[in-house]
Amino acid sequence: MSNTNFKHKMAAHCESGAVTSLLNNAGLEITEPMVFGISSGIFFGYFHKMRSFAFPTFIVRNKPGSIRNNLAKRLGVKFHTEKFRDADKGMKRLDELVEKNLPVAVQVDFFYMDYLPEWERVHINVHFIVVVGKMGSKYIISDSYFPKLVELEVASLKKARFAGGSMSPKGFLFYPEFIPKEIDYPKAILKGTKKVCFNMLKIPMPFLGIKGIRTFGKKIVDWPSFARDTEHLSHEIMKINILLEDQGTGGAGFRFMYASFLQQGAVLLNKPEWTLLSKEMMEIGDGWRDISLFASRIGKNRDLEPDKLKELGMMINERADVEERFFHRLKNSLN
Amino acid sequence: MKEKDGIINCPQQQLILYVEKEDGKYEPIQTGSYLTSNYLDDYEQKRHHLEESLKKQILAKEISPVYYYMILEDLTVSELSARAGLRKGKVKKHLKFEHFKELPQETLQQYADVFNTTILDMISLISEQKDNTLNAKPVS
Repeated sequence: MSNTNFKHKMAAHCESGAVTSLLNNAGLEITEPMVFGISSGIFFGYFHKMRSFAFPTFIVRNKPGSIRNNLAKRLGVKFHTEKFRDADKGMKRLDELVEKNLPVAVQVDFFYMDYLPEWERVHINVHFIVVVGKMGSKYIISDSYFPKLVELEVASLKKARFAGGSMSPKGFLFYPEFIPKEIDYPKAILKGTKKVCFNMLKIPMPFLGIKGIRTFGKKIVDWPSFARDTEHLSHEIMKINILLEDQGTGGAGFRFMYASFLQQGAVLLNKPEWTLLSKEMMEIGDGWRDISLFASRIGKNRDLEPDKLKELGMMINERADVEERFFHRLKNSLN
Repeated sequence: MKEKDGIINCPQQQLILYVEKEDGKYEPIQTGSYLTSNYLDDYEQKRHHLEESLKKQILAKEISPVYYYMILEDLTVSELSARAGLRKGKVKKHLKFEHFKELPQETLQQYADVFNTTILDMISLISEQKDNTLNAKPVS
């Protein structure tokens, strides 16, 4: 049993991709950058020490689940959501929905998505895929990170939906159950943007927003003290590239996709200054891309002496400066 | 980023990148991963070195196969204990070689599920250790 009408499309990010895909297939024409922008997706957070991470790390988007929640609130869309204590009940419920030809998004541990190459797969409990059918012992999956529909064994999906650990999915699933006929896009865009400016500029914690970028730039010189050896440090430094480019961001830690949102917003809001801001955001993204390339190069060459890490830290701090000026200008444009 | 700069030939790992098209619009293209395209061999080499180093530590009875997989899968003790459904103190104990052999099948299965491997594969790391020990014995 599979939903033959479902149109699979790759997307930059798994959550905004799954939400966009479900809405598009339910008849609402909306782009992924618009979903990302309205839901205040762009963000920054740096975590130097956390129990669930073996090494310092950073995030470039808002909290998992926020894209769906914020979008629903701002557009008036209603998503049906369910969580399960019992794995068998969770799988049975999914089968019932799939049987009705309903595409359903599920939260999974990325590690068990065995159609992806081994080097890509890590334990992270906040990956979102859309289940569009079932054939025998396999589900038909639409994953934003894969070019076509794929099959996944029932046992793998069960493990992935009910993996334990931090942010465990608990079988979470969702699908749209109501889409309003009329949507006030300008209002939603402004609300989403206002929140983004607050998140980047005003959150008082030193590890979040612009302050978080600065903390990252400052603390990266301490990374060698967490590493087992040079190869471990090289691996972690090269992961900066993965987090900014490869782990579903649309490039430059979501900055390129956010530029696309601002460009679309300029037309919908009739705000010519947003066209300039979108150009600026694209250039900010180019700077992040330079960081990705620099990190992968020094990692590969094992050129990880303190002066190189300091140079990397300075490049990161420069991003904090330009983003701070940018988000102030964006905030002022809302008045 | 201009479209021409975003085009990377890497069929093994495709992704979506937002670029500036010729008409000035910022739109998505399907392209390849820069990192995989240029540095996959480096990743594989580091992974191989890490596996070999951890296997040597099993051989020297310094660590258990649970530790081996925990490091390879980039998990912390807290995260592994939450995923396997075992107390942190127990997991810490199971990281040591001498305690691994006492593990019941049920606990081994809990770990194997987390690591997406089999009990047999986990035990074979110990068997390799035995084989290597046998091979190391001089033939009299």
